[in-house]
Amino acid sequence: MTTMTMTGAAVTLQDITRVYGRGQAAVRAVDGVTLDFPRGSWTAVMGPSGSGKSTLLHCAAGLERVDSGRVLIGDTDITAAGDSQLTALRRTRIGFVFQSFNLIGSLTAEQNVALPLRLAGQRPSRADVRATLAAVGLADRVRHRPRELSGGQQQRVAIARAMVTRPEVLFADEPTGALDSSAARTVLDLMRAMADAGQSIVMVTHDPGAAARADSVVFLRDGRAVDRLTGASTHAVADRLAAWER
Amino acid sequence: MRGLSRAGLAERFGSAFRPSLGGGWGGRMVAGALLSATLGVALVQSSLLLLITAALLDPPAGASAAERLEFTDGTTAAVSMLGVVLGGAVFLAGFIISSTFAFTVDQRRRDLALLRLVGGSRGQLRRLLLGEALLLGTLGAALGVPSGLAVMSFQAWLMREFAFVPPGFEGRWRMWILGVSFGTGILLAVAGVLVAARRAARVRPLEALRETGAAAKVMTWSRALIGLVFLGGALALVIVAPAGGPAGGMAMAMNVPIPAAVAVVAFAPLLVPLIARLVPFTGPAGLARANLRDARRRSASVAAPLIVLVALVVGNTGAGASFTASGVRELAAQTHADLVVESTAAAPGGTAPSGTDAASPSGTAGAASIAQVPGVASVSTETRLPAEVTTGSGEDRETEVVSLLVIDPAAYGKAHGTGDALASLSGRAVAAGPGGDVPTKGTVELRLPTRDLGRIPVTASVPATMSGGANLLVPPGLVTPQELAGAPARSFVTLSPGADAAAVRATLAKIGTVSTVADWLRADAEAANSTNQKIMLIVLGLGGLYALIGVINSVVIGAATRRREFAEARVTGMTRAQVVRSALLESYAVTTAALLLGAVAAGATFIAVLATTKSVTGTATLDLPWPQIAGVALIALAVTGATTLITSLSATRPQPVTQLRSS
Repeated sequence: MTTMTMTGAAVTLQDITRVYGRGQAAVRAVDGVTLDFPRGSWTAVMGPSGSGKSTLLHCAAGLERVDSGRVLIGDTDITAAGDSQLTALRRTRIGFVFQSFNLIGSLTAEQNVALPLRLAGQRPSRADVRATLAAVGLADRVRHRPRELSGGQQQRVAIARAMVTRPEVLFADEPTGALDSSAARTVLDLMRAMADAGQSIVMVTHDPGAAARADSVVFLRDGRAVDRLTGASTHAVADRLAAWER
Repeated sequence: MRGLSRAGLAERFGSAFRPSLGGGWGGRMVAGALLSATLGVALVQSSLLLLITAALLDPPAGASAAERLEFTDGTTAAVSMLGVVLGGAVFLAGFIISSTFAFTVDQRRRDLALLRLVGGSRGQLRRLLLGEALLLGTLGAALGVPSGLAVMSFQAWLMREFAFVPPGFEGRWRMWILGVSFGTGILLAVAGVLVAARRAARVRPLEALRETGAAAKVMTWSRALIGLVFLGGALALVIVAPAGGPAGGMAMAMNVPIPAAVAVVAFAPLLVPLIARLVPFTGPAGLARANLRDARRRSASVAAPLIVLVALVVGNTGAGASFTASGVRELAAQTHADLVVESTAAAPGGTAPSGTDAASPSGTAGAASIAQVPGVASVSTETRLPAEVTTGSGEDRETEVVSLLVIDPAAYGKAHGTGDALASLSGRAVAAGPGGDVPTKGTVELRLPTRDLGRIPVTASVPATMSGGANLLVPPGLVTPQELAGAPARSFVTLSPGADAAAVRATLAKIGTVSTVADWLRADAEAANSTNQKIMLIVLGLGGLYALIGVINSVVIGAATRRREFAEARVTGMTRAQVVRSALLESYAVTTAALLLGAVAAGATFIAVLATTKSVTGTATLDLPWPQIAGVALIALAVTGATTLITSLSATRPQPVTQLRSS
C-alpha cells in the first residue's frame, strides 16, 4: 500500500527499512514502509506477532535507526539525528507509553511525572504535575510509589509522565497489553479523550478492541504495511486481522 | 540538572534509611557503596596517622646514646611496616571503593536507560552518576573520619601488643588529615564511577524496554588493556625479584599479589564463568549453570574482591612463611658450631679471668675466657652495638641506624662459613655484614653511640642473607672495650674432638646462657616465625577484613536486582527452596572460581619467592601455611554462602507475582 505524504502529518515514514542480522541470518523487520500518521488523530498499528509493529514504532520514535528511508516528526527529519538532537526530541516533542509501564520504582507517582520536566531543566510546578495526574484520574495517588499502585494505575502514571511535556506525538507500545479488561478500558477511554482533544497518538496493539478505539488502523505483515481501515468496529478490525494472519 | 541529581539521591538515601517503604534494594546498594567508602577512608586515615606519628616519634628523655640509636632503629622498622600497611590500605580502598561504585552503576543500566527514554541526555546521566559518587564519597569520608579514629586505636593497640612500638604509643590526630580523608573518599568514589558512568551514559534508551536489563559487553578493550598492563607489572616483579638481593627480592615478591590480582580481575568476566562452569555440581533445572553463562559481568564483579582478598592473604602469608623458612634453613646451614653462649661484654678489668688481656682477638674479655675453657676448640664471639652509618654525599647523603658486630674475622669466617671473605678486615676498616643495607665497597661515615669514627673504608663483605643479621662487621681494634661494656655478645663455640660436652657446658654456664646450636636455631626459628605472623596480622588483618566486607557487599549488590528473576523462576514452577538452592549453587561456583583465580595470582608470588630464595640461599624454598590457606577458603565459602542465603531468602519472601509487576 502506498500513501502520498501529506504535509502536516504528525509522523511521516518514507520507504523505511530496518534489517536485523547479516547475510543469511538477516531479517527485514520493517521492509520499505511508507506511511503517515495524521496530526490530531489516533492511529493503531496492528499485525501478527513478528510483523514488525514494535520495530516500526521504535523507528518512528527515533529509538532505532532505519537502514534506509526517512523519518519525519512533524517537519523535522530525524533520520540522521544525533544523540543530543534525539534527546531534545524525547524531552519536548514526543512521549512514550509502554506495555511494562517503565516507571522508576524508587520515585513516587508525582516524581515520576515530574521527571521529564526536570531532565529538560525546568522546575516543574507541583500544581502542573498534580493537574496532569488528576487528568488521568490519580489525584489521590500522587505520593504512592509504583509498587503500591495497580497495573492500570501505573499505566496511567506512565501516560501522565508522557503527557506532562505536552508532546506533539504520543507513542504507545501495547499500552493495554499487561492490563485486565477494566483497567484497559480506563486507559483506552483516557487515550480516546486525549485524541478527541487533538493529541496525535501512534499505538501498537494486538488487541482488536483497543485498535477499534483509534481513528484508523494500519495493518502490518512481514514488515510491510498492507492495509488501512478507518472508523472500523472491533469486529471489523478482528476480521481484517484474521484475514491477514491467514 | 543539579536538582535532579539531588532529587535522585534524596530518593535513594530515603530508601536507604527507610528500606521498609520499598525500593529497599536500591537502598542496600547505596548502603554497600557507602560502607565501602567509609571503611576504606577509615583504613587509609588510620594507617597514615600512625605512620606519621611513628616517623616523628622521639626517644624517651634520659635514654642513653645507645638506647637512642636502638629506639631509632625500632621506629624505622615500625615506620616501614606502617608504610606497607598504608600501601595496602590505599590499594584496597582504591580497588574496593571503585569496583563497588562501578558495580552499582552497572547494576542500574535499566534505570539509566529509562532516564534516557524520558529525555535524559548522556551528559545528564554522567553528571547524575558522578554527582552521586561525589555525594557518597563525601558522606563516606564524613563517616570514615570518626571510624578511622576507632580503627587507629585498634591498630596502635595491636602494634603495642606485639612490641613493634614503645608502650604508650598512640596515633596522633592531625587537622590536615581531614583533607586527605575527604580527598580519598571523593577521589576514589568518583574515579570508580568515571569509567562506569561513561559506559552507562552510552546505554541505548531501548534497553529500558527489555525485561531483564541487557547485559553490558562482557570484555571491553580498556579492561583488557588494564589487565595486560598489570600482568606485565606482575611479570616484571617476578622476573626482577631474584636479582634484588634478600631485602629487595622479598619486597618485590611480596608486591606481586597486587598487580597479579588486578590483572586476574580485569580478565575475570572471561575467566570466572569459564572456571565456574567447570565446578562440579548439579542443581534444580540447571538454572545456576545458565545464570553463570548469562550474567558474566555480575559473576566477575562478585568475584573481584574475593580474588584480591585471596591473592593478598594467601600470597603474602605464603611468601612471608617461605622467606622465614628459607632464612631459618640458611642460618642452620651456615652456622658451624656446637654451642652458643649468650652473654654481656664485660667492663675492662672486670670479671675476666686472670691471664686474659683486654686486647684479646674479639675485643671482649668473654671471648678469651671461653677460648681458654678446656675442650673448646674455637670460638667466634660477636658483640652487638647500634651505630649510625652515613653513605653517599650531597643529595644522596643518607644516614641510618645499623646493627654493628665486633668480630674476630678468622673465627667469624669459620663459625659462619664465609671462608676468607673477611681475611683483609683489620685495623681501621669495616666489612658489609649479612644484613645488607651498607655498601660493599668505598667508604662510610660511622658513628658509635659515644664516638664519631669519621670516614672508614669498607674493605670486605659477606653475602647478604635471607635471615638478615648485622649490617656492619668490624675488627676488634676499632671499638674500645669501654665502648663495648654491657653490650650483648653471642659466642659460637666449637668443641675439640672428644671433649666432654657436659663439662664444657657447665663451665661456660658461668659466663653466660648456654644452648646447643640446634636449640638455639630452633628458638631463633620460632622467634622468626612469630615475628612474621605478627607482621602479617598487622599488615593483612584489617585489610583482609575490609576486603571480606567488600566481598559481602558485592554479593548483596549482585543480588539487588534479582528479585524479578527469582520470581520468574518461581512462577515457572520452582519452589522457593529450589530458587534459593540454585542461587547458593551459583554463589558456590563463583566463589570457587574466585578462590582458584586468587590462587593463580598468589601463585605468581610463589614463583617470585622460589626464584628469590634460590638466588639468595641456593635452595628454592616454598613453605605454605596450609591451615591459614584452608581457613581463607572456608571463610570465603561460608561468607559468600551465608550472604547469598540471606539475600536470596529475603528476595524470595514476597509472593512471586508481586515481583512480576513492572517497575
